[in-house]
Amino acid sequence: MISILTAFMLIGSFTNIFNNYGLHSDISWSLISAAILIALNLGYILHLSRIKQSEKYSQILTNIWFQIVADLIVLTGVLHFIGTLETYLTFAYIFHIVLACIFFSGRQSFAVTVIVCILYLGVVSAEKFSIIPASGIYENGILRQLIDNTPFIFTFNVFSAMSIWLIAWYLASHLSGMVREREYELAKANRDLKTAQEAKTKHLLRITHELKAPFAAIDANTQLLLNGHCGFLPDEALKVLERIALRSRKLGHEIQEMLQLANLSSIEKKSLKWQDINLSEIINWCHIQIKPAANKRNIRFAENIEDTHIIAVQDHMKMLFMNVISNAVIYSHDSGVVTITCRRHDGNGPTVIIEDNGIGISAEKLPKIFDEYYRTDEAAVHNKSSTGLGLAIVRHVAQTHNIKIRISSLPQKGTKFELRFTSSNN
Amino acid sequence: MPYILIIDDDEDFSAAAALVLRDSGHEVHTEMTIANGEKSILNKPPDLIILDVMFPENGTAGFELARKIKHFDKSIKDVPVLMLTAVNSSFPLGFSSNDIDDKWLPVETFLEKPVDFDMLTNKVLEMLSIRK
Repeated sequence: MISILTAFMLIGSFTNIFNNYGLHSDISWSLISAAILIALNLGYILHLSRIKQSEKYSQILTNIWFQIVADLIVLTGVLHFIGTLETYLTFAYIFHIVLACIFFSGRQSFAVTVIVCILYLGVVSAEKFSIIPASGIYENGILRQLIDNTPFIFTFNVFSAMSIWLIAWYLASHLSGMVREREYELAKANRDLKTAQEAKTKHLLRITHELKAPFAAIDANTQLLLNGHCGFLPDEALKVLERIALRSRKLGHEIQEMLQLANLSSIEKKSLKWQDINLSEIINWCHIQIKPAANKRNIRFAENIEDTHIIAVQDHMKMLFMNVISNAVIYSHDSGVVTITCRRHDGNGPTVIIEDNGIGISAEKLPKIFDEYYRTDEAAVHNKSSTGLGLAIVRHVAQTHNIKIRISSLPQKGTKFELRFTSSNN
Repeated sequence: MPYILIIDDDEDFSAAAALVLRDSGHEVHTEMTIANGEKSILNKPPDLIILDVMFPENGTAGFELARKIKHFDKSIKDVPVLMLTAVNSSFPLGFSSNDIDDKWLPVETFLEKPVDFDMLTNKVLEMLSIRK
């Protein structure tokens, strides 16, 4: 409004345009109105910054109502100078009514509408009864005189304006009420969802602990026996203990992967912790974890890894690469080589290739390897402790992160996993 | 002889871990509850604490004790803490070694159960040598 008034004043000051169109050239009232509005706004801002610190809601509310009433009074003044009955500027009040409906309750916005009606009736009555001289933007006052001298037109104009404001208030306040109610329901549903998610997370943590802890105890005690902490044991007993240890670890691992998969399937993408991640650090971390197992079978790593940053969920990346790299090691032959490359591509996401020269997978079995619990016969024989869930986890993570996976494999030649990150990961 | 305190509600596991660590030349004491663990720390400050995360009454009791220890007097607050957990530290539900910092998780390191006892023994030796 300040801009419009200032532009109006500037146009009127420097051109004769108003005279050419039969309008009054004396528009000093627009400058005065703009100045009053600027002063009022500066006052509001200063006052608000002072009372914000005290956080007294009543003071803030008083400030807001003072602003509203003051703005309406200035608008009424502008309307008086432009013309209360002979122009359509009266409908400028609708903007204030609609804003009030958006930000305030039904009663408060109705109060604003009533204030508008009172101010308008006040200025029109004051002009009618010559308390203040009637004013207007038109040089030729014929239209105003006609309205003033025709009671029906005068009354019709005044009351139709007020009726339109009241209808605008009714429609806008009801619409706002519906939107507010919807927002409230959405916020409540969101809160309920968060609470349910937290409860589910706690529950899942507890289940994980309760299922894994017994295996930890079984494993600990088999280690005691196998490592001679309880004295000499015959070879047959040691073999039995090794089978017990292997099966308990396998079951513990399977439980862990089942829970990981359940968690991956149930958590929404937007509630994950997305952050900037250096892929080379993730791959190096996986390398450290799998190295002891690789060393036992004399499996070497050949690496060419560039520093590459992506936006991803760190734990997911660890799960994905840990599964793919450990598969490459597990399904390698003894003394094999696992090759890991990570390359940046300008404008596109990076590509990571993990390749082994191990047992490989036949072409007809390749499409199934991401199915839950699927294992090829060759894999089951080669690695008895495999659960068949690792690649299902890889698939979930890849879907969440929009990673394209390409696999090529030949039986007894090895397998190559190519992971292409899209540019949305940058 | 270094003195290690194991605080873990799993008696089978803590007994096995204690046996392995005693065979490695350490003095080891075990407690099954957080309350008894805290009393034991105050009675005889250990050189290292092996602390489980979850306890029956409180799923984060281990974290709370680890933070509390940092407010004890000087002879105790600098005792290194090795945290054990059956929840996979890379499971996207809990925490990871990246969460280790003095305010949120004041422990030196995590080990995930089931624990390889060779790894545990090496980790204990490493932490004790740093403390010296």
